[in-house]
Parts: sequence; C-alpha cells; structure tokens
Amino acid sequence: MAAATTPEDLAALMTRVASGERAALRQLYEATSAKLFAVCLRILSDREESEDVLQEVYVTVWRRADRFDGSRASVMTWVSTIARNRAIDRIRARGPMAYADQVEDLDIPDGGVSAEALLVTAGEEGRLWDCLSELDGRTENVIRTAFFEGVTYEALARRMDTPLGTVKSWVRRGLAKLKGCLSQ
Amino acid sequence: MSEAPELSESEAFAAEHALGVLTSAERRQAEARMASEPAFAALVEAWRERLTPMATALTAIAPPQNMWLRIERSLASNDNAPVQRMVRFWRGATAGSLTLAAASLAAAVMLANRAPTVVQGPPAAGGSLLDASLVSQSGAPVPLFVAAYDPTRKALIVTSLVTPNNDPAHVHELWVIPADGKPRPLGILEPGKTRVIPMSEKLLPSLAAGSALAVSVEPPGGSPKIDAPSGPITAVGKLAKI
Repeated sequence: MAAATTPEDLAALMTRVASGERAALRQLYEATSAKLFAVCLRILSDREESEDVLQEVYVTVWRRADRFDGSRASVMTWVSTIARNRAIDRIRARGPMAYADQVEDLDIPDGGVSAEALLVTAGEEGRLWDCLSELDGRTENVIRTAFFEGVTYEALARRMDTPLGTVKSWVRRGLAKLKGCLSQ
Repeated sequence: MSEAPELSESEAFAAEHALGVLTSAERRQAEARMASEPAFAALVEAWRERLTPMATALTAIAPPQNMWLRIERSLASNDNAPVQRMVRFWRGATAGSLTLAAASLAAAVMLANRAPTVVQGPPAAGGSLLDASLVSQSGAPVPLFVAAYDPTRKALIVTSLVTPNNDPAHVHELWVIPADGKPRPLGILEPGKTRVIPMSEKLLPSLAAGSALAVSVEPPGGSPKIDAPSGPITAVGKLAKI
C-alpha cells in the first residue's frame, strides 16, 4: 500500500478523514505509519515513547484533519511535521539533561538512513540529500542534528563548545545554501 | 556550492522554526506569527516542504501490530465528527430490532418501575459543571431541550422546550451516550417541563465533557429496549464544560 500511495491519493484520504471517516484514517495510517514511526524512533531512540507519540500523532491528525490545506502543504509534510513536533516536545520534556550529550555525538555519522535507502532515494529526497552533502560537514551535521533532535541553538552551542552566535550563523548560512541548491 | 544570498530575517526565523532549532518560547512565538501573518506561514510551510525529505528518507519501520487498535481506541473521546454519524449508526442498529420490541416490553416496564437506587458510602467527586443544548435533527437546528449537570447535587437538570400537546401515543426519552458509544436511558421528559434527574454512581462516569445527550420518540413508558432507543432521534447535543 505505502509504495503505491501517491501524494494525490493521500490528499484525497485527508478529505475523507476530515469528514470523520475512520476507514480513511486507517488507510492513511497504513500508508504513512512506518515512515512516521521511523521519524519518532530516530528522534526519541526509545520504542515505548515512540509508540506513545505515534498514537498521539494519529489522534491529532484525526482531530485537526479539517485544518489540512492541500493547496499549501503535502500530506506527508503535514503529518511528519506533527510527528516531529510531538517527538521534539517529548524529548524536550525529558529536561535539560537530554541535551547533555557529548560533543562527539555530532561527529557520529547519521545512522538513521541506511545505505540502500540513499541509493534508491530519488526525486525530492535525493535532491535534498545531494544539497545537504554539498554543505561543509560541520554545517550538515548541525542541521541534521537540529532536525532530528529538536536541539536548540543554545544546546548546540553548549554541545559544540562554540559561541551561540557562531552556531546560529552556520545554520542560517547553511539553510540559505540549501535553499539556493534546491531551487536550481 | 557558490555563496547563497542571505535569508531575510523573517525567512530565517521561518526556516529555523521548520528545522526545530528554536526554544519553546520562540516556537510559540513562531506559531503565533503563523496564525496572524499568512506570508510568514507560507514561508514556514515552504521550509517544511524543503526539509521533510530528511524525515521521509528514513528507512520505514513498521509499528507494532496492536498500534492501530490503540489509536482507534483513543479516538472515541477525541471524536469531533458530528454526533449525527452516531445517530445514523444508531438508527441502523435499531431499525432491525423493532420486532423484538414487543417481546421485551414487559421487562422494560418492570425496569422503568424500579425504585431509584440510593447510593450509600463516601461521596465521590461529582465531576464538573456541564451543559448541553439538544437541537432538532430535521430541518434547521432548533434547540428543543437544554440540560445542565450539577456536580454538587449529582443531578442532571433537563428542560423540555417542546410545546405540550396531547399525544398519548408518544413520549420523549432522554439518553446519554458516553465515549463508548453505548446509549444509557435517563428517563422520560414531559413537554414544557423541567426534570431533575439524580445520577447514580454507575452513571456518573458517563456524564463527561464530550458525551452526547439525545432524545428519542418512544411509545409510552419509553423504549422497549434498555440499551437503545426504538424510535427516531429528535434532538442531540454534546455535554461541554461550562
């Protein structure tokens, strides 16, 4: 199912979810839950918490489906933003200790994306990865860490033992480069 | 990669919000700006679209088998879809059971005549102050009944706004449908009158915000079934905290 679901299929499902059709939510779940579960696991590194968050995500989707606007966002972006925000809320609720990771953490290559996933990644996913890899390694890592861990500038600066302003300018410059690269 | 032009302050903030690098206070600020500034919201959304491939490129991991069941179970109390769907389902469920009505009539009359249970023991928390307006189910939504739950008295006060007429063949029966979707009978409402209905400890959990109240048209004495109306639903409303 997941492979055969186009963005248009997902958008049509969302309309049905918004009108209160549980069967449509079930289909949306079948099509998207494995990706969203991977996102939760990547951010939280904890199975039980990821399951809790995944449950919250689909309840949120159900309740807010009427606010989804297909002309402004894709379903995948909308649902994965909910998942990421919920997971980030959860990780931040663990308290400041959650940010106390060692500096070396940032140097560990990202384990969340398997080699074969990168090989088969095409289209937009592939383009983003290409553009990310064009950034210098440090900026790429900082952006990925921020995305997957919801780490604030302050925590990034502490982790990297670098002034906050410096980290902020790395990220901002990196994002500007990404935008330029993606628009080519 | 050649040096890209700097992002405007607004776009940089939007991108940072999409990336997730803002503090909780800044995130709230960004959300508030999104709500009030469509142009800023569009910037955030564009950045979310740009960055989402990082998430979708992750290798899919199937959640545990029982996950959907867990989600489905937690939907009931969060169900914001119109109560009408519940009523529709209900009508379908009751239509086929009319033939059983006569058989269970005697039992229903006996139940209806039972003295109310007097609950002894320590007073339990009576819940919150709730109210509901029950509106008509055909034509324009007109309030036909109003209800309020008084936690100090542990009683539901219901007023019928229906003009009294002489129809000895029908009565109005009140039901509460909590999150589990199973209707519980609360008694007969007389047109134009107010009734104070004491709530048993057993019924108290049903009186929660989000539970539906419904009125059905029944033969005298009420629905022959104790767990569902037998006649059409005339008015429906949801309990909400005052």
